[in-house]
Order: sequence, then structure tokens, then C-alpha cells
Amino acid sequence: MRTKRTKAFVVIAAVAAMGLSACGGGGGSSNSNNGSGGDQFNAALESVHNASDKKGGILKLGQAGDWADSVDPGNTYYGYSWDFLRTYARTLVMFRSAPGKKGNELVPDLATDLGKSSDGGKTWTYTLRDGVKFEDGTPITSKDVKYAVERSFDKGVLALGPAYFDAMLNWPAGYKGPYKQPDANTDSAISTPDDKTIVFHLKQPFAGFDYVAQLPQTAPVPQDKDTGAKYKEHVVSSGPYMWKTYSPGKKYELERNPNWDPKTDPNRKALPDGYEITLNMNPDDVDNQVIAGDIDADIQGTGVQPAALSRVLSDPSLKSRADNPTLSRLWYTNMIPTVKPFDNIDCRKAVEYGMDRSSYQNAYGGPFAGGDLATTLLPPTIPGHQKFDLFPAGEKGDVDAAKKALAACGQPNGFDATIAYRAERPKEKATAEAFQQALKRIGINLQTKPLPEATYSSDTCGDPNYRTQRKIGMCVYGWGADWNDGFGFLSQLVDSRTMRPGAANMNVDIPEVDQMLDKAMVEQDTATRNSDWGAIDKRVMEDALIYPGVYAKAVLVRPKNATNVFVNDAFGMYDYLAMGVQQ
Amino acid sequence: MSTPLEVEPSGAGAATDHDLVAPGQAIEGRSLGQIAWRRLKRDKIAMAGGCFVILLVLVAIFAPVIVKYLGSPPDQFHQDLIDTKGGTLLPLGKFGGMSWDHLMGLEPQNGRDIFSRVVYGARISLLIAILATAVSVFIGTTLGAVAGFLGGVTDAIISRLMDMFLAFPLLVFALALAGVFPDEAFGLSGNGLRISLLVFIIGFFNWPYIGRIIRGQTLSLRHREFVDAARSLGAKRGYIMFTELLPNLVAPILVYSTLLIPTNILFEAALSFLGVGIRPPTPSWGGMLSDAVVYYTVPHFMLWPGLAIFATVLAFNLFGDGLRDALDPRAR
Amino acid sequence: MVAYLIRRLLATIGLLFVVSVITFSIFFLVPKWAGATPDSMATRYVGRTATADVVHQTAVRLGFTDPFYVQYADWAKGLVAGRDFDMGTSIEHCPAPCLGYSFITAQPVLPDLLDRFTVTFSLAIGAAVIWVTAGISIGVLSALKRGSLVDRFSMVIALAGVSMPIFWTGLIALSFFSYRWGITAVGGAYTPFTQNPALWAWDLMLPWVTLALLFSAQYARLTRAGMLETMNEDYIRTARAKGLRERTVVTKHGLRGALTPLLTIFGLDFGLLIGGAVLTESAFGLNGLGKYAVDGIRANDLPKILGVTLFAALFVVIANLIVDLLYAVVDPRVRTK
Repeated sequence: MRTKRTKAFVVIAAVAAMGLSACGGGGGSSNSNNGSGGDQFNAALESVHNASDKKGGILKLGQAGDWADSVDPGNTYYGYSWDFLRTYARTLVMFRSAPGKKGNELVPDLATDLGKSSDGGKTWTYTLRDGVKFEDGTPITSKDVKYAVERSFDKGVLALGPAYFDAMLNWPAGYKGPYKQPDANTDSAISTPDDKTIVFHLKQPFAGFDYVAQLPQTAPVPQDKDTGAKYKEHVVSSGPYMWKTYSPGKKYELERNPNWDPKTDPNRKALPDGYEITLNMNPDDVDNQVIAGDIDADIQGTGVQPAALSRVLSDPSLKSRADNPTLSRLWYTNMIPTVKPFDNIDCRKAVEYGMDRSSYQNAYGGPFAGGDLATTLLPPTIPGHQKFDLFPAGEKGDVDAAKKALAACGQPNGFDATIAYRAERPKEKATAEAFQQALKRIGINLQTKPLPEATYSSDTCGDPNYRTQRKIGMCVYGWGADWNDGFGFLSQLVDSRTMRPGAANMNVDIPEVDQMLDKAMVEQDTATRNSDWGAIDKRVMEDALIYPGVYAKAVLVRPKNATNVFVNDAFGMYDYLAMGVQQ
Repeated sequence: MSTPLEVEPSGAGAATDHDLVAPGQAIEGRSLGQIAWRRLKRDKIAMAGGCFVILLVLVAIFAPVIVKYLGSPPDQFHQDLIDTKGGTLLPLGKFGGMSWDHLMGLEPQNGRDIFSRVVYGARISLLIAILATAVSVFIGTTLGAVAGFLGGVTDAIISRLMDMFLAFPLLVFALALAGVFPDEAFGLSGNGLRISLLVFIIGFFNWPYIGRIIRGQTLSLRHREFVDAARSLGAKRGYIMFTELLPNLVAPILVYSTLLIPTNILFEAALSFLGVGIRPPTPSWGGMLSDAVVYYTVPHFMLWPGLAIFATVLAFNLFGDGLRDALDPRAR
Repeated sequence: MVAYLIRRLLATIGLLFVVSVITFSIFFLVPKWAGATPDSMATRYVGRTATADVVHQTAVRLGFTDPFYVQYADWAKGLVAGRDFDMGTSIEHCPAPCLGYSFITAQPVLPDLLDRFTVTFSLAIGAAVIWVTAGISIGVLSALKRGSLVDRFSMVIALAGVSMPIFWTGLIALSFFSYRWGITAVGGAYTPFTQNPALWAWDLMLPWVTLALLFSAQYARLTRAGMLETMNEDYIRTARAKGLRERTVVTKHGLRGALTPLLTIFGLDFGLLIGGAVLTESAFGLNGLGKYAVDGIRANDLPKILGVTLFAALFVVIANLIVDLLYAVVDPRVRTK
């Protein structure tokens, strides 16, 4: 998931990614100071900063611009939205509200336990807890969860959410969702034998289904209160807080939900008396108010603006209030093997050697706001990450090695090529320009080509005909999985069977990799499976099809007046559910 | 005139003040051009503006040479001069990295030389502004002269059209058009298409300003004795228009083109500032300003491109004002 | 008078028609001509996991599959008679004048516009007070002391003021006054007048002054020119000959003659400004109509852009009408006609 999440879900796995998260990944560059939780750089990465159990106060959050998509749990696909909606929506399963890697663990929320699979992973059963209620006191039943998943199927009304349920479950043929077919029998996909039990029926086995069951789309929705596209104006709460003010573009306010029973909910402390989100603030103003302590956090959690960044990093007292988490996201550039001369692996290697890696990092904002130099596909936060560098060229690139590769490619004097990037993204623009600069050293002349973001992966860079006809040899891109696990990260990126317009994979077509993926998916042993992900990563890199740029990081300013502050790795930002207000 | 929104208030340039110059004595036996030139020469402020304009055109033409000796290629990164270790990505050193090598300092993040980019930015600004002015003048003169000369229904239609343009939220239209325009059309692509598009948009949206003035001038000329004389001699309409009227319109066309150029420079800068101008990495002043917005803690970054726009626009305005005073027969 | 107003009304409707058709054309005809299909246009308004089927559903829902004139007619019908939208569970009626729902957020446009309008209007009205006062006083002073050092100096300053791009002055002012010295409110700050008038003025002070700087320079030049022309008129000479005090001559007779033409320009300026001060709002991050338009354009959100352009054109027309009516009051010559 992550902030601006990238592409589509396509293939359904044979075997799961369960338990992967428990194994942990590399800690990245988190030079954290555990324990104390005092004011230190990265103090809230691995431990709880300013721990407290005191209740009361209003937690104030700010956002630049309007809410990215929707506060309707069935219609949202942004990481910060998923982070925040846990305050008013309970899903079957959730990520543990805990610092660092512990946040990657799945724990039951509305359900009494994680899913029980039968049928070799094709059928998944969850049992709801006793005593769970909506904000109006109505008991939550398994039918409310079923209805919530069904309504998310109608992408004509709720277009913005993920489509895992749509693709995985065994829906009746031609099903259009409960709005258009209120009387359709969907028991083949989801059955509810009684008010406490919900059973999901998959088309193919998938052992990682708990990851799907944590999606916000399983937050229960009472059918008689559902107003379709307008439901976001009053989402009926199942969590500790309920909506008090929904003033789009201006302000959201949440207050305590009297019908939430803490005894039914081991995961939520519910410290503040309410939440207040101010929308459409000036981006720099958000940073300044967080620094001054007027608001507690920038809810989007993508990091501070450049102006605040230089303030925070150059002022030791401010830097001690900053956290610098590594995100499960890779910024990279594709080389397209159907466009000459990138059909020749040596010409691709010339790019791998010739690029100035540090300028890639600077394009994204440097070592703190941008990220760490990447040499692999899997970011260190994802289980299975292995550290290797197949094209060692230092930070600045290796011009000699690059020239040798060019000679091997039969283009000793370099060549002309086009590099595309998403026009709306200044960092990708800077990346394309950085490539242009660095590759000029070895005689490769790049033409930069901005393309509209909306159609980038579907109609232009992602469309084999377009990019081949227009001779677009390189495409600047980025990818983050919807949840932290090796399967979720790699399969979309390197499985040639997912390649089609609109998909994340634009250029990796290696039969051997497909086989390796299939093998890893059925591998039961977690450690072996994790080393399989690393091996796949390495095999893909050998073909030099992808230039890995940086593992993304963000600079966050820790709230001044909040308690229980920590970064949850599942979201890569502060855990808004856990925070309290300093009393 | 009235130009879009806040780019420049309506009435700018076409203001009816005829100041800044002492009354020119009527000197007989000289052509209008000579008289004007004498007047202009005495207007020191206008001459200063004119000299700056010439200097700027030279800078634009010889940008590669200037940059070779006083800067570095405008797209070259200097990341060794950027604080990458500390992560702030600001230029090292005082005043945004100003030094003899980098006269105006460096851009944050990539460390491109600001001086070189400002110099190259002059090319884009002047090119687009001058070409767009040519478009405006062409449309404006044609329609204005036709309206003024033919009168009647034609005049009514064209005048309404001009009124309508003046009442439009033109900047929004220009933004929308520049925003949705495809990357390839008419067999053009890249910056060639972009420049043509900007020239067309700016020129097209500004023509009524010239059109109004030309219409007014034509209207007043239409009933002058020499036109009546030609008409009574049986001259055709076309002949009258091209031979009798047009030469008399040269002076106002010249003056108001000079005054339209700075407006168009501001217009181009505004479009670039709002992100629909020329494509990167080609430097443009408005684009540099838009990049600078997020670095408000380092004002030098927004200072130089802004100053460049300001100085250029001011120079054109000063010169244009002087030119009008010198050429306008009503100058006092 | 009634016939006059009817004629103006018809002209206004005509204008609004043309404005909306042009906006529509820019958004539908230009991309179409560049090869966009209804489905490819709809990809902008769906989630990131959308399948081709979902995209097509969206294209149908937003009406992209209909011919251009049908889409326009639907939109225009909403404006005149209201329109129904399918919200999934229910049909939502959007009463006239309905400007539709945002393609992205599915929020109705009209309430947003009215909300944003208060910001833009606040910006424009404060700036107008400053620029009219400052511009006219400087202009009169210059004219009366024509050729003096004060005159030349203020006219060069005025020309400089006109030559500065507003977004640049705004950014520099913000950078120094707000962030470096902290003496004015930060960018984007806005408190509704009804909530706290003092804070309202405080928050908007910097945008007001910046915007006024640009306009007052121009108004000073125009006032000066107008004054110089009027003061040479016969009726001023007559007034002087009657033995009126110079002060009375200047304020009662001179100023009135000089300001009448200024009124037209003011009407146009103010009308254009309250339709969205795009650059000022962008530079200061104010959530007014102009920024709404820019955001709408960036997101390709047609209903928003249609709404703003329509609003903007309407304001210009209204402002002009008011000016024309005021003319009768200010200029005795018009009244007798």
C-alpha cells in the first residue's frame, strides 16, 4: 500500500506469504536509539516515544490539499487513509498497532482469531467477537461485513478501492454488486452461516488471505445506512470514534463512539477524546504548525516540504524531533528491451554502470528525504531482502566500465535514446535530467519526455506499442506493494504473466523468473521462501532491465504534544490510532 | 487594454499619459521618423530602457558564448557543491552558493548554475513574447482595420468579439488549453510544439488589445480628407486600405507592439509558473520561479529569475512609453 | 430602461453560453482530436486497480460515451432545470442551478464555488480599497505637481510596480515578511470575516498589499493622465474664473472628470479579479476561486473548471453592468442623454 500506491493486483498466489513479516527484514538505515524514547533523531522508529496511558484531549492533524480519495473504507487506496480509518472502522484482521517491524504482524480485530483455512487455502473462515456494535448500538453481524465487501465490488459507484476481493472470490458469473443486483445470491463467494461467522470462498488457494482480510473493505457497513457514493458523508462507525463533522475540503472531526466497548477490542487504547483534521492547508504551513506544536502531525505522512527539510536537518534541536523511516517502496527506472539498442544487454549494463547513483538520490531529495542508494529490487524493510550489487560502480558511476559495456554492445561512441517520466512529478523530472547528465559522460544522449501521469502505465510507457513506436527506451517509475511481503512486492513487478497495459511490470519477461516465482509461492518453509525472493531479485537484476534508484525514506517531524508516538512499518508513518494527547 | 487577470491590470501600457518627455518643438522639413527619433533621443529613461532591451537580445542570441565564459552549461549538475551529506540539498556556502564560478549561485537539489539558466531563459522569454506579439499584431491589425474601415455589421461583430475576449477569464482558458494539449500534433513534438502552442495561446488571447487601438485609429482616419479624396477618385476599398490607411497605422502598431511584448513576457512567465509552459529541462524564468516556491527559505533562488522578468518587462515598458510619446502626434 | 436591461440580460446569457461551450470544447474536443477515447479519458477518474470494465463503466457514468452536444445539453439542463445523479443506492437530485459533481471527489461544485468565492472576494475587496485610495492620491499628487521630482519619481515607481510579476512579489513578500521576520500571517492563512474581522484583515494583509501594489501603480498612472487632461478643459478654466478655491476646483470638478473613465476600468478589473485571482491565490496558497480553477485543471476536473469560468464571466458582466449604471450618477453628461 503506501502513499501513492502503484499498480494493479493481478495474479492470485498458490501459497501464502503468511508469517513472512514475522521474520523481519533488514533494519535499513534506521540508526535508532531504542528504549528511552527521549528527543533523539529516529527515536520513534523502533520504540514508543513518550509512552503514556492518559486519556483526553483532541488530537489535531493537518493536511495540505484535500483528502486524497475518500474516507469511505470501501473506497480508499491511500496508506494514510488506511492508517487513520482504524479510528472509526474495524476490519476482520488488522496490522498490530506497534512500533517498527512489529507493525507488520497481523492480529485479529473484529474477528476472534486470524482466518482458518480449509480446502487447501481455498476457503477462509472468520468468527466475529461478541458484543461488537455500530455507533447506534446495533450489533455488528457477519452480514454487515459481507455487505461491505459486496458493495466494494461495484467499482462503478466505489471506484477507488483495491480489487483483491473482486479478483479472488468466487463471485457468481456476471455479478454487478448489491446496488444493481440487490437480490443476487453471492453465497458462492461469501457465505454467512450465522451472525457470527463469515466464510470466504476463493477461486484458487491463497494462503496469505489474512492480508486481504485486513483491507478496509472488510469494515462492516449497515445496509440500511448505506448511501452509496454519499456514504462517505456519514460513515457508520464500528471503532472507538465516530464522525462528528464531515466538512469536505475544510474540516473533519471525530468524537468518542459511546457504543464501542473496549472489552471487545484489545488493539485500541483510544486515548484522545477526539480527532480534528484541518484540510486544504498550505503545505509549508502544515510543516510549520507541526514544528511549532500547533497541530500534531501532517496526516499524509509523506515527509516535510523542502523548506522545512532544510530547517529540520540543519537545526540539531529540530533534528532530534525528526524520524526518518525507510518505506517499502523502490524508485527505479525501466529499460525497455524492445527498443533499440536496449535489446542488447551490454547497452543496458552501460546504463547501470554509467549512471551517477547519487544524483538519482538527490533527485528524490537526498539521503534523508529521498532514500538510500538501491542496488536491489526488494527494499530492506521487506522480508527476503538480500544485499548485493551486481554492477558495482560507486556512488558516482563507473565511466570506464560503462564505456567497456558500450563497446561490447557495439556502440562505442554511445547512442541516442528517449527517457520518459511522469510530467506531474518533479522528482521524476529531476531523475530524467540526472540520467541525461550522467549518461552524457559516456556518449549516450537522452531526450527527456514528460508524459501525463494518468495514462502513463496504461497508454504510454506501459503500452508496448506506444513505447516501441515512439522509441521510448527508458521509463522512470516507482513501486510499493500493498503490504510488506516479498510475494506482494515482486510478483507484480517481475512476473511476465502480469505484463499488460496498466500493470506495474513494463519490461521483465524472463521465463526462468516465472518458474522461480511459482516455486517460491508453493514453498512452505518461510526461510527458504525468503531466500527464494532474494534469488529472484538477483536473477532479474542480472538481466539489467531495471535500474534501481533509491529505497524511499521520509523525514517526519514528531508531534510536540502527543504521547505514544511511533512509526508503524505497515504504513511507514506515525500510527494515528495509538497517539494520545499530552495532558 | 485589458490583459488576463492579474498578469497586468487593464489599462496598462495603453494608458493615455503622454509624459516623461518635454514637448517636442515642431521642426519643419523633417520626416515624422526623424522627429520621433530626435524626441526619443532626448528621453533618457526611454533610451536606457531601449539599450537594456538591445543588450538583452544580444544576451539571448549569444547565450552559449556568455555561458561558456561566465557560467557552465545550464543543464549541468554540480552536486559536489550541494549539501548532500546533511540532506538539506541546499547549495554549500553563503548566499546560495554565489561565487565567481557561479555568479548567481546554484539551484538546490541539482546544483545547476542559476546565472546560465537565467541567460538561457532570456531566449525562451523573448522568443515566445516576440512571436506571440507578432501573432497578436497580425490578428489585431487585420480585424481592427477591417472593423474600423468597413463599419456597420462587420464592425459590430468584431467589436463584440473584442469585448467578449476582454470579459473572459483568459488565464484560466489559456491554462486549460495548454494543460490538455497533447504532446504531439501537427507533426511537431517536444519543445517545438510547446513553443508554437504558447505563441499561439498568448498571441491569440491578446489580439483584442491591438485590435481596439487599430480600429479606433482606422475609424478616425476613415473620414480624413486624403481618404475621401482617394475614394472620390474611384479607388477600390483594398487599395485605400493598403495604400492610404496602412502606412498611417505603422506608428501605433510599432508603439503598441513594443508595449505588448512585456505583457506577453509576463503571460509566458505566468503560464510557466503554473506549470503549463515550456518543458524541462529547458530553462524558463517562470519555470525557475515555480521550482523556487518550495524553497522560500532560500530567497536567492527566486530572486534572480524574478529580477530578470522584472528588469526585462520594465525596460520594454520604459522604451515603449518613450516611443509612444515620440511618435504620438498628440504628445504634449 | 427595461428594454436596456433585457438587452443586457440576453447579452449575458449569450456570453455565458459561449464561455461554457468553449470550455467544453477545450476539454472534450482537443483530447479527442489528439486521439483520446472515452475510456482513456475515464482512466483519470478511477482507482489504480481499475479493470477495463470498470473504466468503461466510469466513462458511461461520466457521460464520455455520449456525443459532444449531448454532454453539453446534459450539463446545460442541470444549470437550468437541475439534474439527477446516480449515487449507487439512490438517485440524488441536484437542483438548479446545478453545476454538477466533481469527477474526482464527487462533491457538488456549486457549494464549493460559493465557499471559495468568499475568499476571493475578501482578497479583491481589501486590495481594491487600498489600490484605489493609494493609486488615486498618488496620481492626483503627481498631476498637480507635474514635472516635479515627486511626479517623476512616483511615475517611475508606478511603472516599476506594473512591471513586477505578481507571483514573484508575492513569493518574495511571503519569504521575508512571513517566514523570515514573522510579521505577517503565513501563506494560505484565512479566517472568515464573520468569524473574526480583525483576524480576517490580518491574514489577508500581505496578499492585499501585494495585489494593491500592482494595481495602484496602474491607477496612479491613469489618474495622473486623466487629471492632466481634465485640468486643461474649459469648464475647469470657468470654475477657476468664477473664483472658486483651487481645492474645490481640483476635488469637485477636476477629479470627477478624471475619475469617470477610471470607473470602467475598475469595473473590469474588479470583475476579473473576483472571478479568480489565479496568480495571487497560487502564490499565497489561498483557497479561492482561482486556485480552485488551477487545481481543477491539474486534475482534469471539468465540472470544477466549467463552474469557475462561468462564475468568472458572470462577475465581469455584473461588474460592468453596475459600472454602466453608476456612470449615470457620476457623469452628468450621460444622464442627460
